[in-house]
Amino acid sequence: MQFDRLDRWLGPCLMLLAVTWLWLAYTYIPGARSETEAGPRAFPVLLGFVLLGLGAIVTVSAFLAPREARAEKKLPAVMRREVFIVAGTFGLLMLYGFLLERAGFVISTPLMIVLTMRVLLRGMSWILTAALAAGTTLCCWLLFAVLLEAPLPRGSWRWLFF
Amino acid sequence: MATTLGTVVGLVIGSIPGLTFSMALALMLPFTFGMQPVPAIAMLLGVFVGGMTGGSVSAILLGIPGTPSAAATVFDGYPMALQGKAGQALGAAVMASAFGGLFSLLVMILLLEHVAAVAIKFGPAEIFALVLFGLSTICGLAQESMVRGLVAGVIGLMLMIVGLDELDGVARLTFGTVQLQQGVNLLVAMIGLFAVPQVISAFIDHGRAAPAKMPENVRAQFPSMKDLRDRLWLMVRCAGIGTGIGAIPGTGGPIAAFLAYDHARRFSGSPQNFGKGELSGVVAPETANNAVTGGTMIPLLSLGIPGDPATAVILGGLLIHGLHPGPMLFRTHLGTIYALYIAIVLAYVVILIVQLWGIRLFVRVLQVPPHLLAVCIIVLCVLGSYAIRNSVFDVYLMGIMGLIGYLFQRIRIPIAPVVLGLVLGETLEQQYRTALILSEGSHSIFFESGVALVFFALTALTVGLQVWSASRRRAAVQA
Repeated sequence: MQFDRLDRWLGPCLMLLAVTWLWLAYTYIPGARSETEAGPRAFPVLLGFVLLGLGAIVTVSAFLAPREARAEKKLPAVMRREVFIVAGTFGLLMLYGFLLERAGFVISTPLMIVLTMRVLLRGMSWILTAALAAGTTLCCWLLFAVLLEAPLPRGSWRWLFF
Repeated sequence: MATTLGTVVGLVIGSIPGLTFSMALALMLPFTFGMQPVPAIAMLLGVFVGGMTGGSVSAILLGIPGTPSAAATVFDGYPMALQGKAGQALGAAVMASAFGGLFSLLVMILLLEHVAAVAIKFGPAEIFALVLFGLSTICGLAQESMVRGLVAGVIGLMLMIVGLDELDGVARLTFGTVQLQQGVNLLVAMIGLFAVPQVISAFIDHGRAAPAKMPENVRAQFPSMKDLRDRLWLMVRCAGIGTGIGAIPGTGGPIAAFLAYDHARRFSGSPQNFGKGELSGVVAPETANNAVTGGTMIPLLSLGIPGDPATAVILGGLLIHGLHPGPMLFRTHLGTIYALYIAIVLAYVVILIVQLWGIRLFVRVLQVPPHLLAVCIIVLCVLGSYAIRNSVFDVYLMGIMGLIGYLFQRIRIPIAPVVLGLVLGETLEQQYRTALILSEGSHSIFFESGVALVFFALTALTVGLQVWSASRRRAAVQA
């Protein structure tokens, strides 16, 4: 994908974001109580209009960019593997957060590492995976629970039954 | 102890190409929660100083800069390593780094209180103008496109809006979510924005890049007295360049290092040797990029203006520990400021010891595959985010911020301005609204103050210079 072609999407997306933001600001944030002060809505509204303007600039510049300049600015193509890794990392982070509260640190941490190593980083040996999972869990427990005395989640299985 | 730990972490992370010390700073912040403010900030300063220095190790040994600030060191450091002089280059780099850092610390000590003494007279209008000037550094941090930098800055400011409005007590865009009433936690946002994109990049690069070849039996050598004496005046000049550049918000180590390198080459008796393994080509950028550390501390501590992403994280750390950078800091926490000076000196002592005698540790670290480090980092990201408020909500928020950070990186929207907007936005809005309350709604308050006008002019100048240099770059591309 080319830079200018990306901007043709980015500009309208930014404008859409700005319009949504402005709608949210006008709908959910109360205005000023008197004419002599800037209320809690003033700044969000100002930001919305600035973003709208920037979105318009990006859009207009993308359509007006000279053809020669466009060719110079190529973006690397989005690959299936990249999409898989980005979505996988995000999914694993969410899953880790979900399990942390329910299954606790001791179970969710090694599980998360095993899933990362086996699903995202394919081709990792089981021995290395197990060693990294055990070592990282132990080091993190020592660091957070013992050294920093920070409470790590113990989990609760109530959600499974009730 | 805290400084030593921070410095070693900074050195190690800084030496690994692809991992930034801004990320290390964000990851270290949760560890400082249980600490007193002085050791906590000393630890962060250690990471900052160590990270700036550590970048030279991989620049010299692998020809890949560990940090952008060490990019200029590659030009002569790597050729020296290829000629079998890696030890000499590493020794000179560490000595130059320590010299530059301590020189800038001295300048910082001399200037800080004077700047703060002036700044204490500022009212809301002046502070608003000052923060606006701080935000204009977005243009400098914008890298490729100023519009993209501004978009990032505005998005950072928008994220800051979410939560309870401190002046009116109104919940803004929280949609009834209790966890959002305190707003988007700065630390959670920084961990997500800085660390997660690097983790994803390390996973994507797994299996693609061939492992780097390392020179064997590397040992840092203490430079000879003659080498040091011959380059002393060069180091003083480069330290001056670094301190000056560092004090200008939005510039940072890479610019200082390249300027110093160019300065050293132009004023050298043998410019033809540069790029082929000239020792001055290592000394000049390393002195300058470390001198930036003290320079950036001047606007940070005296005015509360961070100059780069790393100092934005340090500012976040100061705020979390109840230290509000600015002129009042020198009235209320003078002892803390002096302790921080000592911490920086100590950090350089640790750097000298670790890098001169512990270089093998770095060689080992550089051999660890980045994707394995990334697995450990992702666990630290989650536990660090959770530890802030013992809330899983923060883990989810960190994940979302990380995804945004990666997407921004992909579409070339810089991340640093988002953080700058998040850090400075609250003060900007509060001072603007307070000034309007004082002036009963009249905007003339901003134009009646000479100081505010100076800052407005500086803001316009910074933006104008960036627009001018961007248009020159565009013209050069089209030519």
